[in-house]
Amino acid sequence: MKGPKIRFEKVLKAYGELKVLEDLDFHVDENEVVAIIGPSGSGKTTVLRVLMTLEGIQGGTIFVGDEPLNVMRKGDRLVPANRAHVRRIRSKIGMVFQSFNLFPHMTALENCIEAPVQTKGLSKSEATAESLELLAMVGLTDKRDHYPSQLSGGQQQRVAIARALAMRPEILLFDEPTSALDPEMVGEVLNVIRDLARSGHYTILLVTHQMGFAREVSDRVCFFDGGVMVEEGAPDDIFGNPQNDRLRHFLSKILEAT
Amino acid sequence: MAGRIIAVVALTAFLCGISFATFSELRIFLPAMLRGAVVTLQVSILSAVLFIVMSFLAGIAKDSGTRLVRWLAIGYIEVFRGTSLLVQLFWLYFVLPEFGIVLSPMMAGVLGVGLNFGAYGAEIVRGAMLAVPRGQQEASVALNLSDRACLIRIVIPQAVVVMIPGMTNLTIELIKATALVSAVTLVDITYASVQQNQLHYRTLEIFTITVMLYYCFAQFIRFGGSALEDRFSRHLRRGH
Ligand SMILES: Nc1ncnc2c1ncn2[C@@H]1O[C@H](COP(=O)(O)OP(=O)(O)OP(=O)(O)O)[C@@H](O)[C@H]1O
Ligand SMILES: [Mg+2]
Repeated sequence: MKGPKIRFEKVLKAYGELKVLEDLDFHVDENEVVAIIGPSGSGKTTVLRVLMTLEGIQGGTIFVGDEPLNVMRKGDRLVPANRAHVRRIRSKIGMVFQSFNLFPHMTALENCIEAPVQTKGLSKSEATAESLELLAMVGLTDKRDHYPSQLSGGQQQRVAIARALAMRPEILLFDEPTSALDPEMVGEVLNVIRDLARSGHYTILLVTHQMGFAREVSDRVCFFDGGVMVEEGAPDDIFGNPQNDRLRHFLSKILEAT
Repeated sequence: MAGRIIAVVALTAFLCGISFATFSELRIFLPAMLRGAVVTLQVSILSAVLFIVMSFLAGIAKDSGTRLVRWLAIGYIEVFRGTSLLVQLFWLYFVLPEFGIVLSPMMAGVLGVGLNFGAYGAEIVRGAMLAVPRGQQEASVALNLSDRACLIRIVIPQAVVVMIPGMTNLTIELIKATALVSAVTLVDITYASVQQNQLHYRTLEIFTITVMLYYCFAQFIRFGGSALEDRFSRHLRRGH
């Protein structure tokens, strides 16, 4: 049988004394859609950031497929991963940020083709053809030559999604992709993410505060609190029949707020 | 901006005209002064190129992940900012021969001015790069761009907009500082003026022309700077 697509084994992430993730065991199956929920500061973003190699970890191992990310095999020993190893594994992962992080000096299309041309050795015309399809998919064909400053937040985030897809990742990470958006633009971005989730082509990790959306698109929901995964389960169980007190408390506070 | 250039050119032409009409002995000292102006221009252009190259090299190296590279950059910046340009010029021209390295006056002048200003420019380049939001580098990592591609394609193009005003100012300072190259026996416009004044006592004409020439050089740099700034910040304006 095939192992999980992503696996955290006793992962420790600390900033000095502060342990942000502690002995985290966690896995995501191939083409599974997992939503991560939890209060502010619980370590949700950190899970995505260590997976994307934006941060190192202080203990444990992260596996992508059956390959370790932070270490590599050398003979029969494990040594810290070198740059080439990290880049090879990283190429399977794409990430969409809360604040978009588009390149402001490039047009929507240039944002999309930059990395495929630089890192995958695609010609400019190949990359352009592919990126135009992706821009069409997110509904932005007519904005291809616009700079980010000329786009609305919702449009920028859709370009950011197309840009991540242009690298043909197997795993997609979304960190609160709609938190920085005006309410009227949330829908257009969620629609795109919903399509990706339903396509069944991607393993997706979604950090979100939109409980309704998490319940709708995910196969499984994980609740984090204080750097540990407190409860996980099917969306209907997590939202309909929460077991842990902290989860219940969290959900009731969210309900109050909305 | 174009209006300002036209005004300067017109003013120069006007004053030159007046000069020709009024001061009949202009042709006695003007050739020597023009030769000086050419030297100033040569030193300025060559040392400005070196200044920009060194600013980028040292500015980027100062935040390098490799300790040795970082130390080299810090050492260079400290040495050239911590001592005066005049002394640096003396060193290059009069002391280096003791170690078997003989430089022509032009080489010593260009090296001295370029290296000295590069040390200041390095901090401007570095500051501009630090001003690029961290999210840009994180996006580059997420897209698997190499460190090199991130630097060249993402960070530097955005930093250039930020560094242009500071670098423009330094370039103007650099042109004015080239007057010090007379210390290594070069006859630049300032030194030529002093010489011609001692020979002909035409103080008003000679130093008026000198001042105007420096001012024209400076305006030219200022104009170039804002044209570059325009070019590199096109994307930041809404509409088009
Ligand atoms: N660079 C850092 N240095 C020190 N502490 C950090 C750093 N980044 C994050 N932390 C801490 O790590 C903890 C987890 O942060 P994280 O961003 O993962 O939380 P989160 O669950 O995403 O919260 P939010 O819902 O507010 O986004 C927090 O206590 C935060 O203060
Ligand atoms: Mg977060």
